[in-house]
Amino acid sequence: MKEESEINDEIKKLVIARIDARMPPNIKISIGGGGSLSKEEMIEHVRKGDEKGKQIIKMHMNFIKAVTSGEFIKEINKV
Amino acid sequence: MVNLSKRSIRFKMQNGLIITCPEHDDATAYLTFFSKEITDGAEKRSLKIKKVTKKELNICSFSKILTKLGYRLVVLNGHGSHDSVFGYKNNLIVKLGKNDRLLKERLVYARSCNAGTELGPNCMEGSKDGCFIGYDVPFIFYMDSEWTTKPHNDKVAKLFLEPSNLIPVSIIKGNSAIESHNNAKDQMLKMMNNLIKGEQKQETPFYLEALWNNYQGQVIYGNAESKL
Repeated sequence: MKEESEINDEIKKLVIARIDARMPPNIKISIGGGGSLSKEEMIEHVRKGDEKGKQIIKMHMNFIKAVTSGEFIKEINKV
Repeated sequence: MVNLSKRSIRFKMQNGLIITCPEHDDATAYLTFFSKEITDGAEKRSLKIKKVTKKELNICSFSKILTKLGYRLVVLNGHGSHDSVFGYKNNLIVKLGKNDRLLKERLVYARSCNAGTELGPNCMEGSKDGCFIGYDVPFIFYMDSEWTTKPHNDKVAKLFLEPSNLIPVSIIKGNSAIESHNNAKDQMLKMMNNLIKGEQKQETPFYLEALWNNYQGQVIYGNAESKL
């Protein structure tokens, strides 16, 4: 459990660093109910690890998995 | 509230569109704004259109509308969960076990988070000519806050909302549910291709992630060959 928690903390740090470095301040995300989230709100949800934070992390991880497995390239080459 | 789940729902289906238009936050305002392409398409095809707004966007009023109007195509814009779709100020409008049977023989597109996990498959169980298209993940889109008062100029939101519009727009043009589902998925792939091949901005990977999320999570249940 400790190991999983540490991994999650590492992933959180990675996702937060990425949002912080690359997300322009004018871009907002709509994910789930309650209106859109600013860059700072995204980071806060990820930091807290609440439902929206988990969804943001999951989206990020799913994409990385798809890229590394080759699934993403395979799909976009269909068109 | 009358429980409609066990009633026999019988009415004559017509070629019409029922579309929910909640506008209580910026996300739902965008969904409503971008729905104009859907209603314009329906007008061109002379479909009857019922836009459901604010006070009608609660489970009681919405159930009455569905009962009264046998319009085949139903577009649900709004927040969602595994078993529900919400309307104005997040009042319930559709809930599994309450009024989902009113959707059974229709073509339903839920532009909502997660409604494709339980609501979608269950509301189409035993359906002959109905079909549900939605998402078994959160439906995600980005927007540019510089354009929130003029969403038609928001090129970021267009990346996500135009492909999703293609589902009902294709159905309105006479395509089957599965063709419309595939058209929207192909459009998402084209958007991702354009993002990769186009000017690389620092935020591009975020858009790819979200498009991939919507692409992978778009699901279809019921009779996929159904048409309007």
